[in-house]
Amino acid sequence: MNKLLILVVEDDLPVRNLMTTTLKAHDYRFLTAQNGQTAILEASSHNPDLVLLDLGLPDMDGVEVIKKIRSWSNMPIIVISARSEDNDKIEALDAGADDYLTKPFSVEELLARIRVTQRRLAMMQSGQPASAVFTNGNLRIDFAAGCAYIHEGELHLTPIEYKLLCLLAQNIGKVLTHTYITQHIWGTSWENDIASLRVYMATLRKKIEKDEAGKQYIQTHIGVGYRMLKVE
Amino acid sequence: MGVATQRYHKNEISFTKASFFLDFAKSVGIMTMATAFGLIFSHLGFSEANIITVYILGVLIISVITSHRIYSFIFSLISVIIFNFFFTEPKFTLIAYDNGDPVTFLVMFLSAFMTSSLAVKLKTHARFEAERAYRTQILFDTNQLLGQAEGREAIATATATQLVKLLSRDIVIYLREGDALQAPLVFPAPGHECAAVLISSDEQEKALQFLKQTYDENTDASSVCLYFPIGMNTYSFGVVGIALDERTLGTFEKSIVLSILGECALALENEKNAREKEEAAIMAKNEQLQANLLRAISHDLRTPLTSISGNASNLLSNGDNFDEETKRQLYTDIYDDAMWLVGLVENLLAVTRIEQGKMNLHFSVELMDEVIQEALTHVNRHKASHRLVIKETDELLLARMDARLIVQVLINLIDNAVKYTPDGSTITISAWRKENSIMVSIADNGPGIADDLKEQVFEMFYSGAHPIADSRRSLGLGLSLCKSIVMAHGGSIWVQDSPDQGADFIFTLPAEEVTLHE
Repeated sequence: MNKLLILVVEDDLPVRNLMTTTLKAHDYRFLTAQNGQTAILEASSHNPDLVLLDLGLPDMDGVEVIKKIRSWSNMPIIVISARSEDNDKIEALDAGADDYLTKPFSVEELLARIRVTQRRLAMMQSGQPASAVFTNGNLRIDFAAGCAYIHEGELHLTPIEYKLLCLLAQNIGKVLTHTYITQHIWGTSWENDIASLRVYMATLRKKIEKDEAGKQYIQTHIGVGYRMLKVE
Repeated sequence: MGVATQRYHKNEISFTKASFFLDFAKSVGIMTMATAFGLIFSHLGFSEANIITVYILGVLIISVITSHRIYSFIFSLISVIIFNFFFTEPKFTLIAYDNGDPVTFLVMFLSAFMTSSLAVKLKTHARFEAERAYRTQILFDTNQLLGQAEGREAIATATATQLVKLLSRDIVIYLREGDALQAPLVFPAPGHECAAVLISSDEQEKALQFLKQTYDENTDASSVCLYFPIGMNTYSFGVVGIALDERTLGTFEKSIVLSILGECALALENEKNAREKEEAAIMAKNEQLQANLLRAISHDLRTPLTSISGNASNLLSNGDNFDEETKRQLYTDIYDDAMWLVGLVENLLAVTRIEQGKMNLHFSVELMDEVIQEALTHVNRHKASHRLVIKETDELLLARMDARLIVQVLINLIDNAVKYTPDGSTITISAWRKENSIMVSIADNGPGIADDLKEQVFEMFYSGAHPIADSRRSLGLGLSLCKSIVMAHGGSIWVQDSPDQGADFIFTLPAEEVTLHE
């Protein structure tokens, strides 16, 4: 039995039905809201574990809803958008959303995103991020020693690669936009930084995932950013 | 042209003080010589008629070498007076005794004046001819230059070059932009420093007023330029400013400037018409394309929609009567057709973005590997029936692209390979670097494409020589879209036979170097 309480914010009835049916079928508890105002009200009164938020709402922009919720809570928000322009997603992610889905999405994809968030929540509740050691599958980062290990073998990372790895690990499960990452690593976000980021990410991934037989630690979101996945 | 210009300038010498004294001195000299000859003739006992002829000749010469016909008149009169003074009885007085003398004087005056007038007329005529020839020459040259000029700026440049050559003055051209003027184009005369006053904001303002016909040059003596419109009928294409340099323009100069500007306006008008025609043609073509697209879409939408709605209605009305397997088949069909529609929508979005031009492409540097991975997550799930092989390279292949569109290209190419090869075929995706390009290949070991169809497959609405198009669910849009996208990236796309006799689609993108930022 999933105890997770999910707030579904969607104005279109068939899509809302699709989502609630899916959630019901997988034993999630849920609330629904049809517009931004109700969504903020529900979020504040029931304090759900997760918000599925449609960006195109009748009364206000979804990004505004994210900003409102973020003013008092860190509850995970997954944005659902029919707009296929990357800029909308990036704006939502930078406003504080954790993840995004583009319509049309498949039911499996929706469930997968919810599971990712669920794992992240579990990790946050166990108080892990504060500790000096981070573990994810076979990956271990010793923040105090400034070293990273895979299968207990030390990874030979350049300073930038290590910084990137730490940034992703600290935000595990969350999609980080290119701008967010370059701002944290270089303090700027020029085009050359983003190109450099691609190369560093590619080499970092190769080093981590080399002997991992198809296991994926870092996920690329083309045109948006990167995310570290929780590996069992 | 140089010779003509010189001659033209000589003719244009105006009635200044210096030239007046020169002409006068020459005339007096000739009269003196005529009188000297007359005295010699009279000494030799020649008749008066000979002496008169000498004077007429003198006046004739004066009329030829001086610049104004007033000299002919004055010296015709003077020659009569001198003749009277020196050669009629009583000599050295202005009195004539002979009754016939007044008649002689009159005839002498008339013949001197008329011959000289004729000479002047001839001379003027010759000058007009020369001017006309020169003007024709200039206009002809201008015409030729304008004929070769393409675009408004080129036309303005050709016109200004001709005007500078003709007038040896600085020229400023303002082309019209809506109801305002573009930034001035300045063409300084050879060996001339172009003064900034020519294009001062004051002058620009005057040019603008001139365009709007509110500026009266006669009331404004402070202007450093003389302005002319470049116009046809009542519409002006711009304004030309001619630096005055404290010399006004002569009538002939003015008339030729107007002719050149007329030519210029004609050229601009033609250019404008040609451009409008071209735009109209492009618009018509776009409309045609859109009409074709709409027709194709509405046709292609019908089939999957029929299947989706039909299957759903069957399940709704008598779902209980179907066995599990039938139901499952119906669900699968609904799902597949819906997914096909999803793909169609993605392609249409890409089409509109490409049609709106380069402005809408979001270029960034991407890793080819990641883009291919992204595309694979979107590929139709039919791929289960095919074997997809990705050849990995250790090299980092970076290319500048709109990732979303290139992902669409890959999806279309892979979907195509899946669609047109039998189950169990292998599709190999590989990328490598060749000089300054990233090459991406999607090869299959299916039946391949006949040589004569290799060009056609990239045409819009081509979907192969398949008679039962409905069952294939093909819009014939995919490959033509791929081509437009790759072309917009400055790459190329083609199809060749793959080593194991299938089709091998290859596209290229310009490779990008990255300087790593530590």
